[in-house]
Amino acid sequence: MERPKIGVFSLTGCGGDQLMILNLEDVLLDLLSYFDIKDFQEISSFKEDSDLDIAFVEGSVSTKQDLRKLKEIRARCKMLIAIGNCAISGGIQAMKNGQMEILERMKRVYGIEEDIYGVLEPKGLSAYVKVDLEIPGCPIEKEETLRAITSILHGDMPDQFDYPVCVECKLKEYPCVLIEKNLPCLGPIIVAGCGARCPGLGLPCIGCRGPIKEEANAAAELEVLLSKGYDEEHIVNLMRIFCANFGEIKKITEIIRRRSGKGRQE
Amino acid sequence: MMYLKLPREDFDAFFKNLQEYGKIYGPVKAGSSAYNFKEVTTLDEMDLSYNRTIVPPKKFFVGLKEKIFEFDEKRAEFREVIEDDPRKVIFGIHSCDIHALKLLDKIYLEDMADKYYLERRRNAILIGIDCHPDEHCFCKSMGTSYATDGFDLFLHEISDGFFVRVGSMKGHEIVAKNKGLFDPVGSEDIEEFKRSQKKRLDEFKLELNLSGLQDMLELAHNSQIWDEYAEKCLGCGTCNLVCPTCRCYDVIDFVNLDITTGERVRRWDSCMLRRHGLVAGGLNFRPTRVERLRNRFNCKGSLLEGMLNCVGCGRCTVYCPAGIDYVEVLRKIAGD
Repeated sequence: MERPKIGVFSLTGCGGDQLMILNLEDVLLDLLSYFDIKDFQEISSFKEDSDLDIAFVEGSVSTKQDLRKLKEIRARCKMLIAIGNCAISGGIQAMKNGQMEILERMKRVYGIEEDIYGVLEPKGLSAYVKVDLEIPGCPIEKEETLRAITSILHGDMPDQFDYPVCVECKLKEYPCVLIEKNLPCLGPIIVAGCGARCPGLGLPCIGCRGPIKEEANAAAELEVLLSKGYDEEHIVNLMRIFCANFGEIKKITEIIRRRSGKGRQE
Repeated sequence: MMYLKLPREDFDAFFKNLQEYGKIYGPVKAGSSAYNFKEVTTLDEMDLSYNRTIVPPKKFFVGLKEKIFEFDEKRAEFREVIEDDPRKVIFGIHSCDIHALKLLDKIYLEDMADKYYLERRRNAILIGIDCHPDEHCFCKSMGTSYATDGFDLFLHEISDGFFVRVGSMKGHEIVAKNKGLFDPVGSEDIEEFKRSQKKRLDEFKLELNLSGLQDMLELAHNSQIWDEYAEKCLGCGTCNLVCPTCRCYDVIDFVNLDITTGERVRRWDSCMLRRHGLVAGGLNFRPTRVERLRNRFNCKGSLLEGMLNCVGCGRCTVYCPAGIDYVEVLRKIAGD
């Protein structure tokens, strides 16, 4: 059988998701031997401009150049897999989306008015192109990624986590940090798959795997955290670290902006 | 029923001797007010005055997440994975959880017995212990505050030891093997046992009126109450996972990197999760949280051969991150 041709690409991000694939050290050679690698920057400078069976893309679309690159990749591949939170929903660089104009952000960070990078408001890949599969995480979990790739090699679409961190937290019998310690845990609205790593260490979930799309009840989470005495702006900022482009959280931001009358659109 | 007395000075020896029946699991403190059943080797690792564990003892019989068989697609073979030593002693199980296991026995053992469950169930020793209700316990209303069977031994604390009820053949065997540790019960002990039971019943504060519950639930099908609670509900599945009577599970296959061998895993599922109602072809028969929430309450309020699917342990209320109070919901449904 001909080996599937793959490419692993980066848009705007830290490169951590590519590194997590490389972190599969024990099985890496076996895994990669299934594929004909045409582009994988973190491994090699070798690149071949050919059609691809699968493209793995990490990073957000944050510049016009990212967008051009993404459209080229989409045109080359049969299956596009977004890896990591940036590629799914824009990542932490999206946290000010809808709150501050992108050029204003550029000015604050780089101190220049000119748009030298061709910046776009950071978004995930699916805002622009069809995405066939999303593997969440910041960074992605290597075991989950391995299982997803193995499933695809086997001819199945991978089983995806469609339930919150709470499920894994309970299955691991961890005491609930929200109930026991009143910590602002986002576990109830965030996609599982991390094995409830943070609650297991007594820490609240900060949402790095992103919300369960079209399902997470962010408004109820807001109410829960308000009842614990947290300030609403603090809660919304917390949710926005990793989930600012998520519809429900955008809505909440808007409600709170109006309620506080602070006009947070700076 | 045989009644015996276990003097306090023999308690430690009794505990140690139970080790011959397998590893001992007892209630261990896991957080400021949370407990879990964990393996213990000494009495003092346990807190026998615990209120409830996060995860109920059903985990000993249906694994939280367990491999049930391994397969090899090329050879078209599979090999069942059964625990090497399923023997275990569950020490300090409460009456409500014993009732819940009796319910699970009906599900898993009658008709087509689940061999994984059966193997573990018949190799487990259950040592019950008396408890004192907190503000979330309503087992008295559910008729599960006292276990008359479903255990091997049941310990009721009295001033100088335990009043012991022997509930099974295995219980009799344990007692026979440890003859020297037990005394016959005297009239004083019987009086003290009776007094303590009466006192315990008076401690219950929470009550739930079960009269007509099934009709009330059915009549409330289109009630606004479900919408109100679905708005609060995070849909996180905690209520199912901590419930001692919930028994839905999910089965998933994982393939190894050789793309030939793999394993089939079953893990606890929850009807509050979106995928629970998803079937082939993409149809979801409970697409909204309103439907899932209503379904859960209807399931809990339904009867299985006369047994309710709730034992009043209070876990779903205590561990709900959204603070949804199970008893309060049912009271509203009944118009109380």
